[in-house]
Amino acid sequence: MICEHCKVREASVTVTQIINGQKSERHYCEVCAGQFHPFHIDFNKDDNLQLAQLVSNWFGLPIWKNETQEKQTQAAQTATTCPTCGYSFRQFLNEGKLGCSQCYETFSNKLPQVLTKIQSGTKHTGKIPGTTTNNHLLLKKQIDKIREKLQQAIVEERFEDAANLRDEIKDLERKLEVGGVDTP
Amino acid sequence: MNLEHFLKNEAPSWMSKDGVDADIVISTRIRLARNLAGYRYPRSFSEQEAKHVDDVVTNALTNINNVMFSHFTIKEMPALQRQVLVEKHLISPLLAKKEKSASVVISNDESISVMVNEEDHLRIQCLAPGFQLLETYEIADKLDSYLEKHLPYAFDETFGYLTSCPTNVGTGLRASVMMHLPALTMSNQMKVITQMLTRLGMVVRGIYGEGSENLGNMYQISNQVTLGKTEQEILEDLQNVVSQIIQNERKARQSLMKQAPIALEDRIQRALGTLRYARVMTSDEAATCLSNVRLGVDLGLIKGIPISILNECMILIQQGFVQQYAGTTLQATERDLFRAKLLREKLNSVDENSKEKGEEKYDV
Repeated sequence: MICEHCKVREASVTVTQIINGQKSERHYCEVCAGQFHPFHIDFNKDDNLQLAQLVSNWFGLPIWKNETQEKQTQAAQTATTCPTCGYSFRQFLNEGKLGCSQCYETFSNKLPQVLTKIQSGTKHTGKIPGTTTNNHLLLKKQIDKIREKLQQAIVEERFEDAANLRDEIKDLERKLEVGGVDTP
Repeated sequence: MNLEHFLKNEAPSWMSKDGVDADIVISTRIRLARNLAGYRYPRSFSEQEAKHVDDVVTNALTNINNVMFSHFTIKEMPALQRQVLVEKHLISPLLAKKEKSASVVISNDESISVMVNEEDHLRIQCLAPGFQLLETYEIADKLDSYLEKHLPYAFDETFGYLTSCPTNVGTGLRASVMMHLPALTMSNQMKVITQMLTRLGMVVRGIYGEGSENLGNMYQISNQVTLGKTEQEILEDLQNVVSQIIQNERKARQSLMKQAPIALEDRIQRALGTLRYARVMTSDEAATCLSNVRLGVDLGLIKGIPISILNECMILIQQGFVQQYAGTTLQATERDLFRAKLLREKLNSVDENSKEKGEEKYDV
């Protein structure tokens, strides 16, 4: 088979892309494939490019494409821009960063697709302002864990370790009593 | 406190306390990313917004009673001083480059620093010696809870704390543990560990910045995931992984001692000799020698050198500090001369008291 790009050399690299569930295969020679490969792009232009490249890879945007495709996708993506900072989703994919908090609302239907690829969920489950998380529970859990270790150390007659563990427990218990560290 | 306090040629005071598992874990760092509602993020905001954010945040921080904070504006600092703060991990390289109203607020013992207008409006950072993820998080959490009463945080019920980069959204929490892993490195196990950690949603980096993968056998292990897990889950997962790595490192050290005691001790004592007597020292060589000496101290093969001196040297060998020490900007080759001198001073002064009688003394 001959390379689809230069149409001169023998094709030896197969590039498979899946866009919106549609699979397409391209055959290139080593020379042309090398030029297309995402990691051959000149990163020095912009520090953030590497991450941006990754974000767009996760999102399934092809790195190379012919001009008509480019125009189509661009038209679709510039359709929504953030009213507060003027960022478009396209710009976000390129830079890997958002421009303001409003962006999360503006792109709320597209962001989860990106987030599932880099996070372990799309919903926040942690701290909420105005509520106090109970760190005491955490400390107590930790104390229980060390107690287990202590028991094991005693059973195995590692008394020096056991003494250290006992001191560790004492320290943590003291922290529990005073209610943690005295920063505001 | 004036800026000179934070530029002194010594380790920050929080580092002098001994931490848990201090033979392997150098320090623990907690970072929280926060933004204020009603202002665009630093990458797209105006000079006026920048100034406003800086004022509001600084105001909130200086009203705290029991911790003293000092405020510094980045663009008022000379480049060398910025670099020294970067090398102390008090500010990030990104903040050091900022032109718009960017600043940093540092507690007097340097254990807490709040960067203003970095990538996000606020980056709260707490440092502690040794391995203490929960304790350090608690300090950061308390400061965060205090600030949320005085600042309008950008928070969304679905996405949590909103950040400029989607890799921080949710909890905004990045917990890092700085580890010294010479035995795992020598026995070529770090590659496997790095791959394993990636699968668990964690990252391994070198501590001397990008591209310094295993310089001085120092690694920084941190969580990658910030959304979909609670702070407690993130910390517990990291805690478990780090505990396992500590155990593995201890085992690897023991087997090194068993298998090649002479070769190991030779390597360690040579490193000490180099640090004490060399006249030209690159930062790579210095980091490697310091790692070997630290291992020697941990294994009891070297006596009379406190770990705190080694911690200090680790910071001082960086190029910003060396120039600070010399009192002027230097070429790379000149830096190597001053670095060697600095190390000789630090490492030869420690055991003056333990010197045997009859040994020559230069001054009385």
